[in-house]
Amino acid sequence: MADPSPTIFAITEDVLDLDELVSRITLPTSGAACLFTGMVRGITRRGDAHETLYLEYEAYQPMAEAKMRQVAEEIRQRWPSVEGIAIVQRIGRLDPGTPTVLIACTAAHRDTGVFEAARYGIDRLKEIVPVWKKEVSPQGETWVEGDYRPDSGDIQAGSSPV
Amino acid sequence: MNEIKVLFFAQLRDRADMRETQMELPETTLVSDLKLLLAERFPGLREAIPTALVAVNREFAFNEDPIPDGAEVALFPPVSGG
Repeated sequence: MADPSPTIFAITEDVLDLDELVSRITLPTSGAACLFTGMVRGITRRGDAHETLYLEYEAYQPMAEAKMRQVAEEIRQRWPSVEGIAIVQRIGRLDPGTPTVLIACTAAHRDTGVFEAARYGIDRLKEIVPVWKKEVSPQGETWVEGDYRPDSGDIQAGSSPV
Repeated sequence: MNEIKVLFFAQLRDRADMRETQMELPETTLVSDLKLLLAERFPGLREAIPTALVAVNREFAFNEDPIPDGAEVALFPPVSGG
């Protein structure tokens, strides 16, 4: 029998196969999937306009996968009608146009919170999943730094105190 | 004494010029104490430590948290994945 709540979370150096990932979280009862993917933007116009040659991603893999699991659990608590969840971050050198991340949620119908769940997933990944990127532009290399500072509320519920 | 491993990521790794190091700490060492020790041992890290995030055994940890024997500690900047 199919897993009633398939959950995929991974850090990978491989190409993100969006179709394959969505199919892995599609159940016989699924009728809707909301998929967010981000890709490397070669030309930035908003704010500090600049060109990007490529991004170099790295992760603290075991913690990143643990925090992805936490994000998936938070989605399930908030949107119990979500059936499948996939959260995958690609790392390594990634050129403009390349998908870097995928958050996908499936549900029986589109009005059950799948859009909000996927949005929550990418926002939360950018807060608590330990992944970093270095931007390489014609002007040189710069680490991109996030602005979220986790607090005790970002610790996984039920994780053992240190 | 507690033996721990410290991992550095992103800018912190560049500044420390290493991926990881082993340390021996008194048993009562807190995260805030470790930050001071690291700033002494690795001058390149000094500027970055006040804003660095800390994980102990792969979970976020804060200044008042103790560092247990055998811990895997990580220092890194605010995350920027996606």
